[in-house]
Formats: sequence, structure tokens, C-alpha cells
Amino acid sequence: MKQFLNDRLPLDGVMAHLRKPLPKHINLLFSLGSLAMFLLLLQAATGAFLALSYSPSPDHAHNAVTYITNEVPFGNFVRGLHHWGASAMVIIVFLHILRVVLYGSYKAPRELTWVVGVLLLLVTLGFGFTGYLLPWDEKAYWATVVGIEISSTAPVLGDVVAKVLRGGAEVGAVTLSRFYALHTIWLPWLAFGLVGLHLFLIRFYGSSGLPKNTSEDMKTGKPFYPDQVFEDVVGMLILFGVLACAALFAPVPLEDVADPTNADYDPRPEWYFLSLFQLLKYFQGPFEILGTFVIPTVGMLLLLFLPFLDRSERKVLWKRPIAMTVTSVCVVAIVGLTILGATAPKLETQEETAQPTDEVQQVTPTDTEPEATEEEDVFDFQLTEEEIEGAKEVGEESQ
Amino acid sequence: MSNESRRSFLQIATACIGGLVSLAAGIPLIGFAISPAWKKGESQWVDVGTVDRLKNSRFKKVNYTFTAKDGWVKATKKRSVYVTDAGNAEWSVFSRTCSHLGCLVRWDESKESFLCPCHGAVFDKEGAVVAGPPPEPLQKLEVKVENGLLYVKEA
Repeated sequence: MKQFLNDRLPLDGVMAHLRKPLPKHINLLFSLGSLAMFLLLLQAATGAFLALSYSPSPDHAHNAVTYITNEVPFGNFVRGLHHWGASAMVIIVFLHILRVVLYGSYKAPRELTWVVGVLLLLVTLGFGFTGYLLPWDEKAYWATVVGIEISSTAPVLGDVVAKVLRGGAEVGAVTLSRFYALHTIWLPWLAFGLVGLHLFLIRFYGSSGLPKNTSEDMKTGKPFYPDQVFEDVVGMLILFGVLACAALFAPVPLEDVADPTNADYDPRPEWYFLSLFQLLKYFQGPFEILGTFVIPTVGMLLLLFLPFLDRSERKVLWKRPIAMTVTSVCVVAIVGLTILGATAPKLETQEETAQPTDEVQQVTPTDTEPEATEEEDVFDFQLTEEEIEGAKEVGEESQ
Repeated sequence: MSNESRRSFLQIATACIGGLVSLAAGIPLIGFAISPAWKKGESQWVDVGTVDRLKNSRFKKVNYTFTAKDGWVKATKKRSVYVTDAGNAEWSVFSRTCSHLGCLVRWDESKESFLCPCHGAVFDKEGAVVAGPPPEPLQKLEVKVENGLLYVKEA
């Protein structure tokens, strides 16, 4: 069989390429990229199975997720892996990028590898943003409302982008359908295309190694296969173990079904968007656009074009004081804002009191069925035909 | 025709055919995806309750539903507003949607303000911004009274 394949495919050449030595002193931080790819595959696998029992419509999405969680065998575990895997992916991608910055691995000739990597970071955040609408619970709905409104503040095309994302004037059935398509078709295609390009560039230019490596060190380390691959696989095993424990012992939250009238809910995004959420509090009135558009966009553009802005050949960190300072400030700012956002007190209000119980506070127009709510201080009340006729008579008499 | 000029022609022709097919397929596909951007919603008047029951309201929270088209769905939309007439039949209906990023504001009786739970916006009882990030005041909905019913205009 091996001979059959060897006669038809360049397997020996591929194996020889994989056995090429890496630079010396490669450490565990060089496994972060492999771990990110492992998580992408895990997300694709768990997502593909979750999709078997999911329905992207406001009428069914929440019930489908409840069904997956409570009734489908291993459903809670698979959903847990997908949920915690998403968080792990953000962390691993962030650490991977940090490693590349600290080691100066983005410098020439690896600029394109870096650019593709930053695009993969954006795709990862896109997966997060489109994914957490899918359960159609309160957090999903309100975080999406806020997220899309942020995009609408962009100059010139902001409103168009928001309408295209929503598929209309407000978050609803079309939005859920669009986000589902983005999450399960558009972004995975984009992600796997970019990962393929990223891997090609990494193999083409070779590992950047450590800043201290001499040119001799660059080709005298351990081989990629099997040595480095084994270390990567052990890392994947440990990561999977952590995620499996989280899926088993930390239930994935599912809040009440989305209610566009529930003002008692304090909207908060997933933890990896909390820094942006918190940032928005500091820019008021006409400066709002600084927090919603200017800072995130400029920050992302600076990150994207970092190799073209930092043209020096120095890679050792202590000889790059500007890079070290900017990176430290950014990391502290992101972590600090995330903590502030997570610990921000919830709003306490004293709403109107002593509402008489016979007051009409929830009404339904005459041509639609009422929707019951369970708010303590909002009383469900549907106008009967008699009441509507009575009201019309009152109106006619008064005219 | 020399081989060189023939190959130049083939290169240009290949690029033209590729470009033509991309445009012919790409324009409708992009139009399909971004069509919601220029689609205009229909406004309608929705009754939120009888005047008799709402009179003398002071920032009364009213939830109502109405039917509107959402893509292929005739959906029941839910809304929440604050109704006030200050006892003089001059109706004001405030949308609870914060003009910053769309969270629902809450009326705080003790502070006589609308407060937003998301980014700390504060609006006064006229809906004007007092503090926080919103660049615009709270939206006041268009209202009318007909046959003893209070209507708001849903855009």
C-alpha cells in the first residue's frame, strides 16, 4: 500500500520536508500556533455536530439549544466543548500573537505570515461575535444589538454595515439566519483558507526561531517531525483535557429566551469583548466615535501593518524599548478594561411605584395575539373586543 | 501571428473572460447580500392603550406588541415605552431604546432620570442627555389619539 501511494504521490518528499530541523532552543511557546489550529478543528467538529440539532429561527433557536443541552445524549458535553473551546481559542490566539511580537517573529521576510495571522485573529473574533447570537437568549440578543449598533457609528458606511449585518432595521429572524450562515459557512471557509496560507508561509520561510539564535542555530535544532509534532500533540491532549473538564463540570449558561422589552436585563458581552464594552463608557457625546470606531480601527490597522512600521532588524526584546512599551501598555489596557467591565456594578433603579393592578400596561393591538410576560411590575392585559368597542364609544362621545 | 503575440492575446482574453464572469456573478451576489441596506421599512400606527387608562401617567412603563414583516416572517414585535401626560392630556411617549447603542433605559423615580444599564447614560425627564456617551436625546415617538386610544408611530 505504501509503495502504491509512493509511486503516485510525492510522499517521500513531504516526509523529508517535515523532518527538516527546526532552529535550536524552540520552546513550548512555539506550540501555541498548533494549539490554535487544533482548537479551530475542534470548533469545526463540535459545531458540525451541534448543527445537526439546531434551528436558526427566533421561534426555535432557544428551544433547540435547550434540547441539545438537556435531551440529546452528550449534547451538554459537546456544547460545553464548543463554548469553552471558543474562549480557549481567543486566549491561545492572543498568546500566540503576543509570542510573535515579543520574539520579533513578524519581521522581514515574514510580514505576510503576520498579516495573515492578524486576519485570523479577526476571523476568530468574528466567530465569537456571530456565535453567541445563536442560542437566542438574553445575552445573545442584547450583546448583538449593542455590537451591531457599534458598527453603525462608523462614518459614511456605518449605517449600511449595520443594516446588512441585521438584514433589516432591527435584530430579528433575518439577523439570526445571517449570523448562522456567517458562523457556519462564510467564516469557516475564510478561516481554513487563511490557515492554509498561514501554514504555507510558515513552512516556506521556516520557523523564525528565538532572537538569540545564530545563523548556525537556525538549521541545527530538532526535526519538526516527530519531535516538535509530539510536543504539540501532548499540548493538545492537555488542552482537550482542560476543555473536557470545563464541559463536564462548568455548565454552559443559557439565559431566558431573548426579550426585546426586558429592561431589567443588564446587557454584557462575552468576556473577550468586555474591554471594548468598557472603553465605550469613557467617550461622551461627539467623542463617542473615538471609542466605537477610531480606537478599535486604528489599533487593528497598527497591528495589521506592524511589520511595515517596525522595520528594524533587532529582535531581542530589551533592544526594542518602543515595541516593549507599546505591547505592555496594550496588554495592561486590554486586561484592565476587561476586569473593569467584568466587575462593573449593575444598575439599580427605583422605578415607578404603586402601580394599580387594573392599569393597562401591556396591550396588544387588535389584530395580533398577546404575548405574555412575567415581569413583576408589568401586568399582562389584553384588550377584549368589548373594551375596544367601549373605548371607541368613549372616543366618539368625546368628539 | 507570432507565438508571442498569440500568447499575449490569450493572456488578455483569459483575464477578460475571468473578469466578465466574476462581474456577472459578483454584482448580483453582492446585491443579494447587501439589499437590506436600501430596503425601507413601513411605518404604522400602533395603539398602546386607552386614553382613560393611561391618563395622569407619569413615565408609565407600557409594553406592547404589533405585527410587522421581518424578512420572510410576519413577526410579532415587542416594544417597551414610557408614557407620560403630566395630567394635561399632552402625551409624550419615550422610546426606551438608548440613543447610544440600543440598550433599554429605565426610569428612576428618585433621580427623575432615565438611566441606561450599559454605559451609564443619563437622560432627564425631557429625554435630553445629562451624562454619559449618547450623542443624541432619547427618541420621542410620534403620537396621536383616536377613538379614545393612544397610538404611537412605529417606523
